[in-house]
Amino acid sequence: MSEEAQTATIFDRPFGLRMIGLTQMTFGFLALVAFIGLVLAIVGGVPGVADLGPVYAVVLLIGVVIPCLVIGNYVDDLRRNAVVAQILYSLFSIAMAAIFLMYWGIGYEWAFPLYEISVQVAIGNLAVFIVVVEAFFALYLIVKWNEVAPPSDVYVERDRVIAKQIVTGIVPSPLTPSLISPDGETTLSDDDSRRIMDVRRVTTDEGMAVLCSNCGGATPLTKVEDDNTLVCDYCGVRLGVSSVFVPCENHPEYLAATNCDVCGEHFCRMCLTAQEPPVDKRWKGSIVHICQKCFEGRYRPAVTTTSLVLPIDQLFDKAGSRFSRVGGIYRKFLGKYSAVMRYVLEFTLRLAASVMKAGGKGNSNDGAAMVLIAVVVAVVAIPLAIGVVLLLGAIVIIPFLFYAGLVGVTIEAVKIISRTDFLSLSEAREKGIAVGAPAKTKESTLREDQRDWEYRGSRYAGERHVTETYFRRQN
Amino acid sequence: MQVQHIMCPVCGGRIPIEHNDKVNRCEYCASPVLGSDQNRNCSRHPDRLAVEVCHVCNEMFCEEDIEYRVADYGGKLFTIVNCDKEYCVDESQWAKPLNREYQQLVNMDWADNIDNLILRVTGLGAVLMMIFELVFVLSMIYLQYFTTHSANLPMFFLPGDIVIVLSILGNLLSAILLQTALQVYIHERQLGSGIVLLIILVAEAAFLIGRGLYFNLLINPIPWLLPLLFGAFTFSVILVFIGSMMATAVGYKKHKQFRSARITLGLTAER
Ligand SMILES: [Zn+2]
Ligand SMILES: [Zn+2]
Ligand SMILES: [Zn+2]
Ligand SMILES: [Zn+2]
Ligand SMILES: [Zn+2]
Ligand SMILES: [Zn+2]
Repeated sequence: MSEEAQTATIFDRPFGLRMIGLTQMTFGFLALVAFIGLVLAIVGGVPGVADLGPVYAVVLLIGVVIPCLVIGNYVDDLRRNAVVAQILYSLFSIAMAAIFLMYWGIGYEWAFPLYEISVQVAIGNLAVFIVVVEAFFALYLIVKWNEVAPPSDVYVERDRVIAKQIVTGIVPSPLTPSLISPDGETTLSDDDSRRIMDVRRVTTDEGMAVLCSNCGGATPLTKVEDDNTLVCDYCGVRLGVSSVFVPCENHPEYLAATNCDVCGEHFCRMCLTAQEPPVDKRWKGSIVHICQKCFEGRYRPAVTTTSLVLPIDQLFDKAGSRFSRVGGIYRKFLGKYSAVMRYVLEFTLRLAASVMKAGGKGNSNDGAAMVLIAVVVAVVAIPLAIGVVLLLGAIVIIPFLFYAGLVGVTIEAVKIISRTDFLSLSEAREKGIAVGAPAKTKESTLREDQRDWEYRGSRYAGERHVTETYFRRQN
Repeated sequence: MQVQHIMCPVCGGRIPIEHNDKVNRCEYCASPVLGSDQNRNCSRHPDRLAVEVCHVCNEMFCEEDIEYRVADYGGKLFTIVNCDKEYCVDESQWAKPLNREYQQLVNMDWADNIDNLILRVTGLGAVLMMIFELVFVLSMIYLQYFTTHSANLPMFFLPGDIVIVLSILGNLLSAILLQTALQVYIHERQLGSGIVLLIILVAEAAFLIGRGLYFNLLINPIPWLLPLLFGAFTFSVILVFIGSMMATAVGYKKHKQFRSARITLGLTAER
């Protein structure tokens, strides 16, 4: 279908592109560390950097830190401009490194003054490394151009949740986010689409009407042809006609499009919203249609799937899971650390023993004791310090997450109160055409499915059933 | 004429025409559309317009020939329809027949307008309370760390510890209030949540005034802070109070309706 040609997702990016993004980010981060070190050296008045230090710092910041971090952040999101920028930057850095090599040669080393000592940096080797890596990047991007830089008319879905839905086929409509021409396959030009969207009507004078799933226009049922299809008066696509001739529960002037899956009543496209299908082996569908009443979940007893639940437990779960993740990192660190420490201890004991043996008398015992104390300090103090740092980090992160969650919940609640969280099929279609991208139909975290049924997980779970034909087959 | 593409009237998906005399289903959303030669009437009563499609045999029927069932798919309850043919009934046994009588007796469409009002009043009050608590935390942190008022704020070990702990408790209380305020929209829970809302409201008000006095806000250095906080707080308390009173009244009516429906259908031992 033409849908795949029009909409790409974040999951379509090649692995190489992802690696380029990560590598660029790493370069940027290392350069940032170097930049901070340089600035500290300048501020601290380290001799040798006072004169040319600021120039190096600015060059480092503008030439490496900012471009690497910015481009690296965007290049792996399937953004055409970022890919162009990356190629240009790669060429630029190759040129710079080449000029450097021409003047100073490969053996050039720079003694970086770090307080009392000085660190030897093999700038020449670094330049060669940069030339190789950036040349590889530029070549890769040019060779894989079609995969890494989608044409400007292709919409790339970067929201992972929606991208997942597109990949698995869960969007309110399999149509492209633009109008389809009468042949049912190609998309109309923007001008034609605009013209149709402007003239199309949502009422007719000739009795019950069918709402077009392509443009939303209303074509009277009297125009249904002998083969039970209907050509839309406005955009010309050939629509199927709903099996039962029952009007929408809320709009007697429209033929119902289909049933609400929850209450079973008949509704038109303006009264139904699409939701993700349940997780159940017997359900093979990609979409659930739900009317506004069932969406609001007011009737619990017989038919309701949803209920209003504030995810307070989730807020704590999130915070708690971060805590446990920090704990996990720490535990892992302790494991590795103690494994290393065993050898260090062994080595030190031997060292201490040899110190004692060699010295033989007097203060040599003190020397051994000093070595031991130093090791004990290292064994105890380093993990303790790292633990404290991690804990402080967690203490800062967790309230932040918690409050971000509270603000999110408040926004969801406002949507529920103002009844703006119900996005009907026709609204979703029109929004999609207006924006040129599939409308977001994220389900509110406050409207969770709630109710267990006595059959749940019992004898029927996993059994295939004939009633499945009611629901969509996976093709 | 050979029709190549029929668009689903619901989702716009492609519909392959497999049966000319039977309902075809959209490949994408499973919505039924008519086959090209199909009659629109009940397959058993040719003079009546069909109103449902049997989910087992995919034939069309009028109201007389069908039954509704409720089926559980992964915790979501859906209504499915089957005709009264023996095979179709057998195949639908796993789903529970829908109790239409009970559903009609507990119909509460009469409360739609008042419920919308109640949800908006309590919801708005609760959202304002939530925002209020968030602003309260920020202003207390400001008072603690950026003004001279910090001397008047209580502490255990570190400056600000009591303030922050109590503020987080206040945030939680307002979140619980919001949670309860949204429940007034669900028929079965309206009465209960109305009453609980009143209790939480009293607790929240007492807790907040207690905090204000404990934090010595009466002598805080920003002259407009106290009137602003108190005004916003009072406004949301009034909203939630009115909403919870209405919810209790309407919820009690619904409670009686539920009870009488159960008694009428013999679903309960009480009378
Ligand atoms: Zn149309
Ligand atoms: Zn419904
Ligand atoms: Zn409608
Ligand atoms: Zn469909
Ligand atoms: Zn049947
Ligand atoms: Zn019949």
